[in-house]
Amino acid sequence: MDIAGLSSILVSGLVLGSLYALMATGLSLVWGTVRLFNFAHGSLVMIGAYIAWTVSDAKGLGLGPWAGLAAAVVVMFFVGVLIERLLARPFIKRENAVIIVLMTTLAASSFLDNSAQVLWGPRMKRLAPLVTGKVAFLGSAISMQELLVIIVAPLILLALGALLKKTRIGMAIRGVEQNPRFARLAGINVSRTYAITFGLGVSLAAIAGVLLGSKKFIVPSMGDDPMLKAFIVVILGGLGSMLGTVLGAYLVGFLEAASIFFLGLYWTPALLFIVMILTLVVRPTGLLGEN
Amino acid sequence: MPNSLIEIRGLSVGYGNIQVLRGIDLAIEFGERIGIFGPNGHGKTTLLETISGLITPWEGEILLKGQRIDSWSPRQILEAGVVHVCQGNTLFPRMTVLENLYCGAYSRRVWKDRRRSIKQVFQLFPRLAERRGQKACTLSGGERQMLAIGAGIMAGGEVLMLDEPTLGLSPAVRGELSQAIQEAARGGIAIVLVEQDFDFLSEIVSRFCMVEEGRIVFEGKPEQISGNQVLEMYFGGAAGSPGGCRETD
Repeated sequence: MDIAGLSSILVSGLVLGSLYALMATGLSLVWGTVRLFNFAHGSLVMIGAYIAWTVSDAKGLGLGPWAGLAAAVVVMFFVGVLIERLLARPFIKRENAVIIVLMTTLAASSFLDNSAQVLWGPRMKRLAPLVTGKVAFLGSAISMQELLVIIVAPLILLALGALLKKTRIGMAIRGVEQNPRFARLAGINVSRTYAITFGLGVSLAAIAGVLLGSKKFIVPSMGDDPMLKAFIVVILGGLGSMLGTVLGAYLVGFLEAASIFFLGLYWTPALLFIVMILTLVVRPTGLLGEN
Repeated sequence: MPNSLIEIRGLSVGYGNIQVLRGIDLAIEFGERIGIFGPNGHGKTTLLETISGLITPWEGEILLKGQRIDSWSPRQILEAGVVHVCQGNTLFPRMTVLENLYCGAYSRRVWKDRRRSIKQVFQLFPRLAERRGQKACTLSGGERQMLAIGAGIMAGGEVLMLDEPTLGLSPAVRGELSQAIQEAARGGIAIVLVEQDFDFLSEIVSRFCMVEEGRIVFEGKPEQISGNQVLEMYFGGAAGSPGGCRETD
């Protein structure tokens, strides 16, 4: 393998890993705190991209890509809160809440996919990149947008870490995750914390959608494949472990990039599943998950 | 101005079809230190959990400074000044000592004073100050209990309810806890102490009541009964009324 090939794998791995980290962290945050999986996460990536397109594109409001990103993050936060209120909260105290919410969010996913088709039409759309131009990176020329993804994703995740560690609401989220009963006695509003956690998770999905929407075409099914990868990442990294999720995301990103380079696109999903299964055989809790 | 800080009238509570508390009447005065004593499984913990809003009563009333709180959420009750340090699993295990204490002051009412409160807690429990950066799950049993009580003090309530704080602790740690609770109470906070260790209880409280089969069967002062009478009450039911104690049924 020549230097150009290695560089291509590194860059693709970093870009994919960054996108998966954003998506999977949102999913992991919700699982870690609420102990529920949001199966509409992939569709929310797509809706985030469509909202950004509507605000930013000349055929929409024409306010530019950064306004599109901001609108997607804010709107999708409230969509996340709404999903918690309507699809999770009514069932959260039931014994089989995980299965029920799996079904309600799957239903939401189907509803959102079809609604996107109706609202935005069947024609593929593409977001303008947030930054333009090319830059030399690890020995090859990459787009500024890719470099932005590589730099911004870890910064967003660091900001999320600081929010969880240093702020009052972050303490509430971690408290509810670790001991909901004690959290209630400490005066933490557990229901509100669940809603905010859903909102944050969906906002992260929206950022991933905006970054993905300038790399690939926006179509109603654009979240399906990243959603699958995000699940692999969350399980591989260890359910509920933020650090494990980020580690798993970059691992899957690099593995996917290398697999595409050496084996081709066809075998890559199977390889990712094999790696996930083998990891779970050796470490049933995932890379950094706890019992 | 109401006479009592907390007044409980005819409180009946249960789980499913099983009744645990049967018509409890109890008044807790401002700044009072009251102990609740009795065999396991007879309703002491249920009584505290009902006062703090974790369990909704079947019947009866709980009043805090004359205002009914029996339908309030645990958060509202905490905001009103009732702090509950429950038995056993009472910490955030992967948070540090400092973070756990800050979480104790989560209520908006006391959040802004958290740095001042933490100094008070560190004065009461110097060991917590030494371990401020350590995760709660790595602390010893005694240190965890100190942390739980410290977090309770951080909440800045008017009444601190402690559920079996000495469970599984060594005599030396019990002594430290007893001193710290008494020191905290000197600030005017009322203490409701559920405890199996009567010696520990009698060091701290000025009045105690014995709960048996969901009822308060005795109320009295700790110095009014002897160790043998405690054993008789504990193992022999309410057979022997100790001199000076009020038999409530």
